[in-house]
Formats: sequence, C-alpha cells, structure tokens
Amino acid sequence: MSSLVILVVEDEPGVRDAVIRDLESFEPLFRIEPAEDATDAKAALEECAADGVRVALIVADHLLPGQHGTEFLIEVNQSDEGKHIKKVLLTGQAGHDDTIRAINQAGLDYYVAKPWSGADLISVVSKQLTDYVLEESGDLLPYVSILDGSRLLEAIAERGI
Amino acid sequence: MTATDTKTSESASTRRRVGLGVGLVAFVLPLLIDIPDLSEAGERVLAVFLLAIVLWVTEAIPLYATAALVILLEIVMVSDQAVVGLPDGLAVPEYRTFFNALAHPVLMLFLGGFFLARGSSKYRLDRALAGVLLKPFGDRPAMIMLGLMLITAGFSMFMSNMATTATMIAVVLPVVAKLDPADRLRPALILSIPVAANIGGMGTPVGTPPNAIAVGQLASAGIEVSFAKWMALAVPGVVVLLLVAWWLMGRAFPTVTESIDLGMKADFDRSNAAKIFYVTFAVTVALWLTEAVHGLPSGVTGFLPVVVLLATGLFGAEDLRRVQWDVLWLVAGGIALGVGVAQSGLDEWLVGRVAWENFGSIAIVALLAAVALVLSTVISNSAAANLLVPLGLSMALSPAVDVDPLLAGFFIAIGASLAMALPISTPTNAVAYSTGEVSTRDMARVGLIVGAVGLVVFLLSPLFWSAVGLT
Repeated sequence: MSSLVILVVEDEPGVRDAVIRDLESFEPLFRIEPAEDATDAKAALEECAADGVRVALIVADHLLPGQHGTEFLIEVNQSDEGKHIKKVLLTGQAGHDDTIRAINQAGLDYYVAKPWSGADLISVVSKQLTDYVLEESGDLLPYVSILDGSRLLEAIAERGI
Repeated sequence: MTATDTKTSESASTRRRVGLGVGLVAFVLPLLIDIPDLSEAGERVLAVFLLAIVLWVTEAIPLYATAALVILLEIVMVSDQAVVGLPDGLAVPEYRTFFNALAHPVLMLFLGGFFLARGSSKYRLDRALAGVLLKPFGDRPAMIMLGLMLITAGFSMFMSNMATTATMIAVVLPVVAKLDPADRLRPALILSIPVAANIGGMGTPVGTPPNAIAVGQLASAGIEVSFAKWMALAVPGVVVLLLVAWWLMGRAFPTVTESIDLGMKADFDRSNAAKIFYVTFAVTVALWLTEAVHGLPSGVTGFLPVVVLLATGLFGAEDLRRVQWDVLWLVAGGIALGVGVAQSGLDEWLVGRVAWENFGSIAIVALLAAVALVLSTVISNSAAANLLVPLGLSMALSPAVDVDPLLAGFFIAIGASLAMALPISTPTNAVAYSTGEVSTRDMARVGLIVGAVGLVVFLLSPLFWSAVGLT
C-alpha cells in the first residue's frame, strides 16, 4: 500500500517543526512533506504526482513570502487532483476577507487559529484524514488504529450489504 | 482480507504465477492419465476439483472468480453442452443444472439475510437493540463483556460476522481508548467481539457462508435442513461455547477497572420506513423459525424481505447493487462443485480410496471438523467449506460409511467457523486486529483455545441431541 502525504506549508522553521512534531502520530501511514512557501509546495505536489503518491491533506499558513496561503489553496482547489485534497488553514494573520475567500473558493475544510494546541491540531487532522480515506480509499482497515477508528469501522460495516 | 493487503505486490504476483501454474498441472493430469475405476466424467470433474483446490488455496485469482470458473468448466466438460462429448451410456446432466447453482434456494435465503442486515444498519436497529439489551448487564467489565458477547453472537446469527464485528467494535472503541494503556481489558473487550461473532455465526443457516454451503449441498443431495433444525443443532453448542469463551477471556485478561460506561442509547428510529422494516424483519424471522408449521421453505421466506423492501421503496437500486454478490457466487461455486462430484461418480471413487468402514462415525465427523478448522485457519472459511463439503457428503452418502450426511455437512461448517487463531483466519479477526489493540499473540492464544474447546463442545453435542430426541 502506498503511503499518503500530508503537506505542511509554513515559512518559519520553528513553527513548521512544531507542526510536524504534532503530526508525528500519523507517520506510520502518512508521510509528512514540509514546504517553506507556495513555490516549494507546488514543487512538492508535482513530485508527488510524478511518483504516483497521493496528497491527502495540506496544512498551510496564510502569511507566506510570495503567494499567500489562501491564494495557493485556491489554485490547488481549481486543479482536478487538488479538489479532493483536504485543506486546513493554520494562521493567526488571515483577515476577514481572506478567510471568506478561503472558505468559498479554496474549499477550505478547517480553520485553525494560531496559537494552536497540539491535541486540537491532531483531532482536526485526524478528522480531515478520516474524511479523505472514506472518500478516496477502498481499503479502510489499515487506517483504523491511526485515524477515527469508530467512523471507519461503521463505514466498513455499511459498505457491503 | 489483510493477508492479501499486507503482502507486497511482488509476492502477490509470484503467488498468482505459482497458483496458476500448479493449478494448470493439477487440471491437466487427470485428463491425460487414465485413472482406473473412474469414469470419463469422473476424471473431468476431478480435474475441475483439483484446479479449484489450488485456486481457492492460493487465491491466484479471486475466490468468486474461481467459483464462476468451476461452473463454466463443469458446463463445457461434463454437461450436455460439453465441448468434447462424453462416451455414450453415461448419464449427462443438463447444463442448466450447473447454472441453477447461482439461483439455488440457499442463495435466496442468504440474500434475505443480507437485506435484513443492511436494513438493521440503515435504520440503526442494531445499535438501538444493543443499547436496550446491554442495560441489564450493568457496568462491571466482566458483565459488560458477557453482554457484548451475547449480543454480538445474536446479531451475527442473522448478519454477516464481519459487519457485526465492525459495528460492535465501533461502539466499544471510544471506551477502550480511554482505558489505561496497560489495562488488559483493552484487548479483552476488542477480542471478545470477533470471537462472539465467529461463534454466533454458527447458529443459523444464514449466519455465515459455510453454513449456507452445507445446507445448499445437503439440499442438492435431497436432504432438506430447515432453519429451525439447524438452530436446534447449533444453538446449544453456541451458547455453551460463548460462556466458556467469556470465562476463559476473563481469566486470561485480568483487569483493575471497576466500571465502564459504553454510553449506548436505545434510540429507536420511529419513522414509518423503519416501522415497515421492523415488521418485515420480525415476520421473516418468525417464518424461518416456524417452517415446520407452514411448510414454506426457508429460501422462499428469505426472498420475502427482498420483495417487501424493494417494493415499498425502502431499498432502491443502490441497495440492490450493494449486495455482496461475490459471497453468493462463492457459495454457488461450491454447490455446483458438489453437484458435479455427485453426478459424475467421482464421489464413489473418492470414498473408495480409504477404508472408511474401519473408522467410527464420531471419528469421521471429528476428522472432517478438524480438517475444516485447520484449513480455514489459513484460507477463506467459505473456500474451505466449498472443498470439504463435497468430500464429506460423498463419504456420508456412501453405503460403506456409517455417518449421517447432515452431521458431515454440519460439522464441516462448524469446523470452518472455529478457525480464528490468526488475523488472516477470518475478516472478523482482521477487523479486530486493525484497531491495534490486540496483539497477534493474544489473538492466537484465545483463538486456538476457543477453537479446540469448540471442537470438543460440538463433538459432545450429539449426546445432548440424542438426550432431547433431536436426531
């Protein structure tokens, strides 16, 4: 089974490392790919596409050097492959308008305000990844122990008559 | 199943190549070599049988594909449509005989079971019932576990073992996650559910595919087993084994937790659709249990919920498409194989290989159950039953062997369900293992003991049956 990717887009190395540390518990089945800005993130997305690896989730900061996080997510959402990717904005600096644009145009799935608590981020990411595998994965069993096991098991019970 | 998922694609393709290669050799040999005392038709069915063994064991092609292949090969090799005609003088079955397996009454019985199970999940009858039934068991872990096991077993008599296990573990998992990581109650609660589902599945003809395979092939041989009759044979053993398994697991997994709350509510869906479903469910089960009174075969009754739920619009085309046709076809493949074995005279030849008259009937039945148990531990329970039931019935129907065919079929089905030692043994185990709460070691320990105890419990049950005048 090929692993899925979580893409973390954050320019400050300290913050980026903190996010990656919080998401460590997903690592047996999800590879965490760091990116420091939108350009870097797009390169990572292309690389994943070339390797046939699917990106399940993008956790992006809004205030990035160059293209802003919200614009980046809107661009991703407009591509065929990007539509299915779950998108979380992790930011303290997105204004009212940016936030509205993110929800309406980027298909934003969740907004986490900085500063965040590790437990909250884990539960948000767990929910998003569970949604993703329920929508996109045929075989749910491998994810039961790492994501929301109860929801996955209910789906397993439902899938066959 | 997990077995196929976790293996790398490389080893899967090796397995496929080996399976197909060995299967081809096994298929060709009986056709090339003249086997003394075996008719031409018998040799051809033997070829199909050997191919089926290799393919069902190696899973070189999917189980249901092998089942379909068996039906096709029988039609083109030993029916009146055989490509190379059979020598004159042999009774040749019509090709329809083999297609009929796909619509065998036992498949209709199973289809009814699927519809009831799907409805239970759709209208959350399973959750609500579990909430009601679990209440009297209080909050002590041992009692909760007993309640969970009894309810799981009861559900899995009518629903697929796998769906029941997934549903019940989904209920328990949030509670388990809050327990102390070192508490042995964690693996105990999770493991109790597949164990109970495997045991409960033995209880009715629709409980699990091996039962349907046994009932279906018995029917093809002219022996009708009613729903109630199967239950009467199986349920006493099921109850005893459940209690033994519960007691064993309580001892094997001591806990310090004093009380737990599963937080289950008895929220019954009160919509009209749900009420129609409840009535359909109750009437179907009542008709199944009272076949002796009204005489309607269980397969006909099984078609009733199918018609009612589709006609009332409770179930749509989407639900119909979601029927697990792969499971039904696998059962059909076994039935077709059994028909071929019996019609071609292969059965007499096979039985003639061993001097069975030297064995007691209990020894033969025990052997069948034990072989089914061992085989099902490593391959699919249904595939094992598909291969063993034709052999067991051949034996039991032969005048040289003193075994009741009903018992031969019954014990193969029971043996197949007792295989629960490994995560790959059954989908129920795979579900429990996926939670990460149960180690392979714990699973093997409990599975082996419950399997062995189950074998003893069920082999003793003929004594009980004769005491109450059942057989």
